[in-house]
Formats: sequence, C-alpha cells, structure tokens
Amino acid sequence: MENPLEQFVVRPLIHLNAGGYDLSFTQSSLIMMIGIALITAMMVLSMRPKALVPGRWQSLTETLHDFIFGMVSENLGEETRKFFPFVFSIFVLVLMGNLLGLVPYSFAYTSHISVTAALALFVFFVSIAVGFAYHGLHFFSTFVPPGLPFLMKIVIVPIEVVSFLSRPFSLAVRLAANMTAGHTMLKIFGGFCISLGIILGVFPMLVNVALLGLELLVAFIQAYVFAVLTCLYIKFSIELH
Amino acid sequence: MGLTPEELAQKIKDAQQRQSQKPGSSDLEKEGMDSGLAMAARAATDMVASIIVGAFLGYWLDKWLDTSPLFMIVFLFFGFASGFFAIYRLQTGRPFAPWLKKKDKAQGSEDGAAKGEEDKQD
Repeated sequence: MENPLEQFVVRPLIHLNAGGYDLSFTQSSLIMMIGIALITAMMVLSMRPKALVPGRWQSLTETLHDFIFGMVSENLGEETRKFFPFVFSIFVLVLMGNLLGLVPYSFAYTSHISVTAALALFVFFVSIAVGFAYHGLHFFSTFVPPGLPFLMKIVIVPIEVVSFLSRPFSLAVRLAANMTAGHTMLKIFGGFCISLGIILGVFPMLVNVALLGLELLVAFIQAYVFAVLTCLYIKFSIELH
Repeated sequence: MGLTPEELAQKIKDAQQRQSQKPGSSDLEKEGMDSGLAMAARAATDMVASIIVGAFLGYWLDKWLDTSPLFMIVFLFFGFASGFFAIYRLQTGRPFAPWLKKKDKAQGSEDGAAKGEEDKQD
C-alpha cells in the first residue's frame, strides 16, 4: 500500500533559490494561487450584475458575505467595518484551501503547519497591534483580570500569559491537524479499496464516500473556527478583558 | 408561470412567514456550527496547546536563567491551569474566570460567539 502521508509532500514546480533560501514555486503555492484566483473571480464576476434580486452566483456570494459579516458584527459590534475585510479574507483563504484540498490530485495547503502557522501568527500580531493601537501600553493589563487580590495575581498572571501565547499555537495546530487527519483517513481507506479488489473493495469505498461528506463539513467548520477565533482575539484586544 | 401578481405576493408573504418562524438557512448553519461542532473543534487543541506552550515557556526560561528544571515544572502547572481555563471560557463563552462577581460576568457574557447564540436558542 502506498504511504498515506506521501500526499503531503511539497513538490517544487519551478526551482528558485534566492540568497540561500529555497523560494521554489511549489504545488502548494500553485493551489494557493488557484484558490485566490477562484475566490477573486467569484467575488468580482458574481457581483457584476448588482441585481436587486440576485441570481444564483450573486446570492451565493451574498450569503457568504452576510454569514461572515453577521459573525463579525456579533463579536465586534461597532468596530465591525474596520475588521471585516481582514476576517473575511482569512476565512475565504482557509476555506479555499480546505475545499480545494478535497479535489483529487489537488493539494490541501492548509494541511501544512507552515501555512497555518503563518496565518495564525499574522492574526496574533494583528491582534497585538490592535491592542496597542487602542490602548497603548495599557494593553498589558489584559494579563491582569480585574478584582483580584494581590496574591492571586501572582498565580493568575502567568496563567494568562501562557493562555495568551498559546493562541497562535492552538490556532495553527488545530487547522493543520484536522486537515492532515482527514486526508490521511481518506488515503488509507482508498488504499484498502485497491488491496481488497473489486468486490470487497466496495465497502471501503462506501466509507470513503461518507468520509468525504464529513471532510466537507470539517472544511467549513475549521475555516469558520479560524475566522471566529480571529474575531475573538481582536475583540479581546479591544475590550482587554 | 400562471401566477397573478396577487398570488405571487401571497406566496412571497407565506414564504417569508415560514422563514421567520424557523431560523433562516444561513442562521441554521451558524447555530449548528456555533453550538456544538465548532466548540468541540476548539476544546481539545486549546487545552493541549496551553500545556505545550506552558512547558515550552518554562523550558525556555530555564535555559535563559539556568535554573533547570524549576520553571519547566512550574509553567507546566500554569499550562494545565490555563488549559482548564480555556475549556471553562469556551463553555461559558466568557473571557472571565470563575472568581469574579456575577455583575462582572454579565458584562462579558455577550462575547464568545459560541455561547450567546445558544442561550437564545434554549
């Protein structure tokens, strides 16, 4: 049976080497660009009619927009418009990665911790920047919950620091681990299909059909969770506690 | 389409009423994601991540201050504690910790995309 983890190997398509750094254009970058092109095309083309009564594509785009807009405004209230483009871009990029990864012969770039960690760190630093922009140095009081006796502060502050620092880590690991696990499962059952032959191989194939459905759900949920957490982190930076 | 404008208006009205009674399709999707699945997706990693980050922070402090293994042990416990906090916050949807008064908690209860919606639903 083929190695189920082989699908995650990043293969360079165009070799590039700049100052000792490997900057090759890989299949991961290619899929990422396809994803961005697809979503841009969808946004631009579907909204071109600007119809009052939307057609199929326009209503799909509007639903996507309203879905995220609702989630952001629930969390950020009046600040929604400032941060909506950021959250929406993150959501769409992650969603595209998850969905395109399910296409055969494609590659799930969100299954790589380097991609998700870059996104998560970006979110993390944005939330810190927002905190400093809104509160200046007062932002550090986010580590000190109000109404605590001094002795408790000694214990609670390190806990808060740890939980603050674990944000980007859990954000990155959750997405990458979920995608990796799903794709590995698919590959393993696909391998069973081949090794069991035509008659018995139908059963693992049925499992795979069900798994694909589950993976579709996971693709949406993980993108959604990523967006929700982006929102929450920005919210915590604005409200401090 | 053999519909007069009046019939069509009636149909639209009916459909709107049906829509307003149950949560709209996109809302429904959101409820499902918010209440159960999205929270489940967060719970495990939040906890594990806190512990790992705690241990790593301790290890790094030890290396820096040459106090091995003091900080590693201490921060491992901080990591555990912050892991449990993470679960608590996820559950209640509140950024606050349990020692705070009720009044303070009420303020914070709006957040946590996770919980607010669910309360309404119940």
